Amino acid sequence: MPSEIITLQLGQCGNQIGFEFWKRLCQEHGISPSGVLEDFATDTNDRKDVFFYQADDDHYIPRAVLLDLEPRVINTIMGSAYSKLYNPENVYLSKHGGGAGNNWASGYSQGDKLQEEIFDILDREADGSDSLEGFVLCHSIAGGTGSGMGSFIMERLADRYPKKLIQTYSVFPNQDEISDVVVQPYNSMLTLRRLTTAADSVVVLDNTALNRIAADRLHIPNPTFTQINTLVSTIMSVSTTTLRYPSYMNNNLIGLTAPLIPTPQLHFLMTGYTPLTGDPDINSHQHTVNVRKTTVLDVMRRLLQPKNMMVSTGLDKTNHHCYISILNIIQGEVDPTQVHKSLQRIRERKLAQFIPWGPTSIQVALSRSSPYIQSNSRVSGLMLANHTSICSLFERALNQYDKLRKRGAFLDQFRREDIFKDDLSELDESRDVVDCLVQEYEAATRMDYLQFTAKRHTKTYGAGDNKSEESKSTENLPV
Amino acid sequence: MSQHRRQFRGGVEGSAIAAAAAVCSNDDETGAKIISKKIMNLLRELCEHIKGSGQDELRRSKDILKLHHKFASPNLYTPSPLVPSTVQYVAHAAQYISKSPNAFENLPVLSEQECLQKIMDTLNSKAHTQDAQKPGDLFYKVYKRLSDEQIDTRKRQNLLNFLLCIADGDSAPVLSSSRAPAGTCSVRGAVTEERPSTESLQKEFNTRYHSLSSCNVPGILVQTQLAKLALKSNGLNNNLILNANSNTSINTNNSQLSTFTTNGNMPPEINGKGPGGQIYSYDASQAGMGLSKQGVPNYMEVLKKQKDFEAEHDLAQNAVFAFIGIQGRYLKKDVISGRFKLNPLHQKALTASQSSMLLRLAELGYYYDRVVQFANTATGYNAMGCMGQSLISKLNDELTLFHGKVARLQDEMNQFRAVQMRDYISRDKTWLNRRRDDITLVRLMGWYGVHLKRMQWLSKIADACQMRKGGELASVVYDFLGHGGDEVDVVAVEVLAAICKPLVRMISNWMLEGNIDDTYGEFFVESLPEVGADRLWHDKFRLRHNMLPKFFSLDIADKILKTGKSINFLREICEMQELVKGREKLKEIMENNAADIFSYAQDTRWHAAMETCYQQTSKHVLDMMVGPHKLLDHLHGMRRYLLLGQGDFVGILIENMKEELEKKGSEIYSHDLSAMLDAALRCTNAQYDDPEVLNHLDIVVKTPYPGDCGWDVISLQYTVQGPLATMLEPTMSTYKILFKPLWRMKHMEFLLSMKIWKEQMGNAKALRSMKGEIAKASYGLHLFTSEIMHFVHQMQYYVLFEVIECNWVDLQKQMQKATALDDILDAHEKFLRTITVGCFIKTMTDMERNLEMVYGNIISLENWQSHFYEECFKELHAREVHAKRIADSERAGRFGVTAEQQMDRDQGYKNFQQKVNSACRNLETIASSYEKAVRGFLLALNSSNDPNLQLFGTRLDFNEYYKKRDTSLSVPLTFEHMRMSVASTTRGYKTLPPKSAQAQSETQSQSNKHLIVD
Repeated sequence: MPSEIITLQLGQCGNQIGFEFWKRLCQEHGISPSGVLEDFATDTNDRKDVFFYQADDDHYIPRAVLLDLEPRVINTIMGSAYSKLYNPENVYLSKHGGGAGNNWASGYSQGDKLQEEIFDILDREADGSDSLEGFVLCHSIAGGTGSGMGSFIMERLADRYPKKLIQTYSVFPNQDEISDVVVQPYNSMLTLRRLTTAADSVVVLDNTALNRIAADRLHIPNPTFTQINTLVSTIMSVSTTTLRYPSYMNNNLIGLTAPLIPTPQLHFLMTGYTPLTGDPDINSHQHTVNVRKTTVLDVMRRLLQPKNMMVSTGLDKTNHHCYISILNIIQGEVDPTQVHKSLQRIRERKLAQFIPWGPTSIQVALSRSSPYIQSNSRVSGLMLANHTSICSLFERALNQYDKLRKRGAFLDQFRREDIFKDDLSELDESRDVVDCLVQEYEAATRMDYLQFTAKRHTKTYGAGDNKSEESKSTENLPV
Repeated sequence: MSQHRRQFRGGVEGSAIAAAAAVCSNDDETGAKIISKKIMNLLRELCEHIKGSGQDELRRSKDILKLHHKFASPNLYTPSPLVPSTVQYVAHAAQYISKSPNAFENLPVLSEQECLQKIMDTLNSKAHTQDAQKPGDLFYKVYKRLSDEQIDTRKRQNLLNFLLCIADGDSAPVLSSSRAPAGTCSVRGAVTEERPSTESLQKEFNTRYHSLSSCNVPGILVQTQLAKLALKSNGLNNNLILNANSNTSINTNNSQLSTFTTNGNMPPEINGKGPGGQIYSYDASQAGMGLSKQGVPNYMEVLKKQKDFEAEHDLAQNAVFAFIGIQGRYLKKDVISGRFKLNPLHQKALTASQSSMLLRLAELGYYYDRVVQFANTATGYNAMGCMGQSLISKLNDELTLFHGKVARLQDEMNQFRAVQMRDYISRDKTWLNRRRDDITLVRLMGWYGVHLKRMQWLSKIADACQMRKGGELASVVYDFLGHGGDEVDVVAVEVLAAICKPLVRMISNWMLEGNIDDTYGEFFVESLPEVGADRLWHDKFRLRHNMLPKFFSLDIADKILKTGKSINFLREICEMQELVKGREKLKEIMENNAADIFSYAQDTRWHAAMETCYQQTSKHVLDMMVGPHKLLDHLHGMRRYLLLGQGDFVGILIENMKEELEKKGSEIYSHDLSAMLDAALRCTNAQYDDPEVLNHLDIVVKTPYPGDCGWDVISLQYTVQGPLATMLEPTMSTYKILFKPLWRMKHMEFLLSMKIWKEQMGNAKALRSMKGEIAKASYGLHLFTSEIMHFVHQMQYYVLFEVIECNWVDLQKQMQKATALDDILDAHEKFLRTITVGCFIKTMTDMERNLEMVYGNIISLENWQSHFYEECFKELHAREVHAKRIADSERAGRFGVTAEQQMDRDQGYKNFQQKVNSACRNLETIASSYEKAVRGFLLALNSSNDPNLQLFGTRLDFNEYYKKRDTSLSVPLTFEHMRMSVASTTRGYKTLPPKSAQAQSETQSQSNKHLIVD
């Protein structure tokens, strides 16, 4: 079927958010947990076949591949009401079941070992679709399986399906609490490199921001994973509504992401969602949600406020960060004329700062929403934005990495794996790539973005081996 | 004595009863008191003597009844006419006359003795010889008793006169029946007209009396005169027959005449009941007495009088002839103007008043002639067509009526002559008929006024209608309604109602049957025979605006047009029968209320019927189209597929066809494509659409021009058949025109995202190893791509959302509200018009041209990019080969490559660098040309008057990127500036000369410049 998207859920986190995502999709399309179309689902204006396909008995099966190296989460899923939804052949559990031990290198090497079996599944799925549009990866960057095996699979996918889009929903670790995973900075750095080089578009889901939003805006003191994951699933489902409820524009993944991503590197997208009244799932005990006025202008204005961002960026002291591109997906009862009035207001008040080196604007996609889910608010909106301040996230990761790396701590478990057998250059290379990325984002705030990048890279001619050294030397200068 | 009697009879106009009234009227007291019971009894006895009793009573009393009936006012009339009591009548008469006591005071009356003598004579003369006592003697006895009563002598005299009158009336039994009413009529006239008019009547009587009495002698003269009259009346009849149209017959003439005789003010002695014999016999009995008493006439005087009378009569006859356009002795027609003028030969014989009266009377003849002219189809002055025919027939009707009236006049004259002749034969009894007037010029003056006006207006209307037909004719006549005069209004309404009859029939035929029966092209709806059924709805029928009567508003005309059109449509295209409910009734209402259609207030039955018909039919058509023919679904389908509303379908279609689209136009075959179309329909949400809609969707390949690729020749089409085709065919070309830019936009989007951008993303990974060398070019490429992408996406958003979607929402609202099919079609057409403008088609501005330049640059960018990546991969490959060679040599232990190989590689690398540099330059060329086009486009948008386009302009440059780069854009970019600059220029030019205004801000002067350029 057309413009199909195959979803890969990797690791504990990936499977959890994936599970919530599918649950949400089933609700929106009126599909029962067992995959059968509900009786009330008579509306044929939605496209289920982007994410589902139909088996012979007409029941809907998600185009999802569930991968994990340890059975806990997948077993939970298979024990839930939704167990019959998935194609059991697409659920892959590592045989020894030991997991990756929060070790990127372990996950990566296991991915290498299991790639035959994994790609059997992926190829089968890809062959089963008429015109595959791309892959969506759900994972976290801090753990072992999602980051390590995810990285490996991303690289392989990029090689194997060079014409397909690879989009990831990557969960970034919570910076506010001390993680029990000590090698998290290494894992993050190594995954970030793959996200930069192998993925085409990364939707950043920052646990820091998600927790803050849950606490501050939804008034949940200690949000559980499920509650956070519902937020994530909302974002994931809304960001795909234009694909699932087609209208005149933005009906495929490429059309959706291409205008957001000007250069191949700058493909890390922030999200924002409003109004965050929270689903009944999240706060069924909570009734003190203040009722807000939701007009298009309000929604669009609130989407531009940093507190509604699902990414916690550092304080922008110099106030130089800017939007590279914005796409607002607005749902609900929208009067078309309100849209450009709102845009006009935003422009007049300069509510958003844009890049100086090219034309850009707030794109608006009006999308229908599911008729089966009652929304509390009249208008709701999701923002997908490419903002230069996201580099602060990477800078933070770099700092943490540098702290650890300077001390050379916890490297033993990495050295055990093949990829680090000879040396730890992989780590340093990754750091370089991420550093480059940060610089590019910084450069993108300036007028001379075109010249800057050009200057910087003309120096680095040479064989692949020299490159890392040279880039290291250049990169050392500003530090 | 006989003269006296005549004088009395003539003067009182046979009203003996009037005299009786005078009897009782001298005193100031009321009649009831004066006429005491005793006197009444006596009177009754007297009357009984005169009238006789027994079986004759009934008949006689009938005569008196008639007399009374005419005489007495209705409230005095007894309700049982079968048992009339003579006395009652007498009493009534006496009472009545007492109320107008002095009516005939001045009239000469016979003395009491004379009356008594005469009554007795009369009674005795008709008494049967066997009778022992003569009735006259009996009467005398009663009279004696009356005279013993205390009654004023004058009263008595008058009473006797009255009784004499009754006796006389009785003595001519046959004549009395018809004569009596005439006499009473005159009395009535006299009574109501009061004294002044009675005096004039008196005068008239006198003159007539003299002239009439003179004709007693020369019998031959009278004979010839009568013969002449007969001839003339024949001529008149002939004339009537000649002038009257086919539908006028002598019969109607006759019937009119006969009806006239019963209620007119002239007695009908001559209509062949043969009273002549009785008159003669009666004459014989009286002849001796009358003649013997007559003196020797003065012949000279009589001759002179006769001549005068002849002249007077001739004048009137001339006038009457002139009324119907016949020239006479005194009146001749002017050859040129056609007006009557006095005959110079006889002019001298006329007095000034006579001639002026004649001329004035003759004016009617002139207008009569005019009307005759307009009513005669041979003259060519008349109106044309069916409605013209009805005008002519209306004129002819009018003429016939007029002829009837003239004939009546003529008839009166003839009668007068006939009476004269009879007078000559039976001189004594002529006084009976003498009460009638002859027709004089003065009387004619009174008669002709009304007719003149009518003829004048008829000829005026007919004149205005010359050479006109149909609705125009109706409009012309309708204008007369605004004249204001009542008579004109009446005439115009009558004429218009007559004219509109065929029109009304045409309308009802059209609205109920859908037929046009219009031989003369008079109807305001016309059907174009050369237009086929496929264009029935839009082109086949149209309004003939010059044939639209003024009293129809365009709105009504439109409704009428649409109704008939709908009927035709339903019958011919949808093949339906039984179209209008209650057709017969509607037809009846519509055809029988012709005068309603031009009523000022449009709330007549006709209008109501018309409205019902319209509502019903349009509802029918609407139901038909929206129901079984799914018009709305098809419109929706066209919006989704032709106007690319179904985004996923278009995307997949392009994806499916991408190889074909890249091919040369001449290598594409539509049968390949239809399979792809089907595939695209099957695998997108289109599959849930109504198959009937999908079946209409088709993909066509136009004949390619050299250099065209698949994108240029392939287009989607919506083929409609049957009723839908009739409805939508005219809009299909618009859809074709609209499809092209939309398709082109999709093409650009496809190029940009699916090819350029996707390639960039993929190749960026592949070419990472040589990122450094190509960075300059690749970053330029990326940024340029994102710039174009932004433009195309905003453009697409604007066109697809703001233009098409917003208008579509409007259209849908209107479709919901629609009560008639044309509401939907009009809204649909408006929708198409709006989006045609919105899609920058045929705007005749720079926008279209600049847009095309932008698109051209995208295509060249695509070519550039594929060329660039080709070079990159070549270089990459060369490097890999080189590296492999080194590796091989390493493995072989030779360690190194030959100098030649190394040099080749270096050379290759140098070449590559040059290529990259030149590619950069090419890219810059494309970029600058693109930027120029975009700036031109923005400038055109910003300077446009349409606020939507201005807003679109600001959206394209949301972060003011172009504005910062181009100062000329900075001024008009915002609407605010525009408004301010308009205000400032107008103010600035008024108050300050341009040169001294240098102190003003630069922006303002720039805006001035800009406005001047505009």
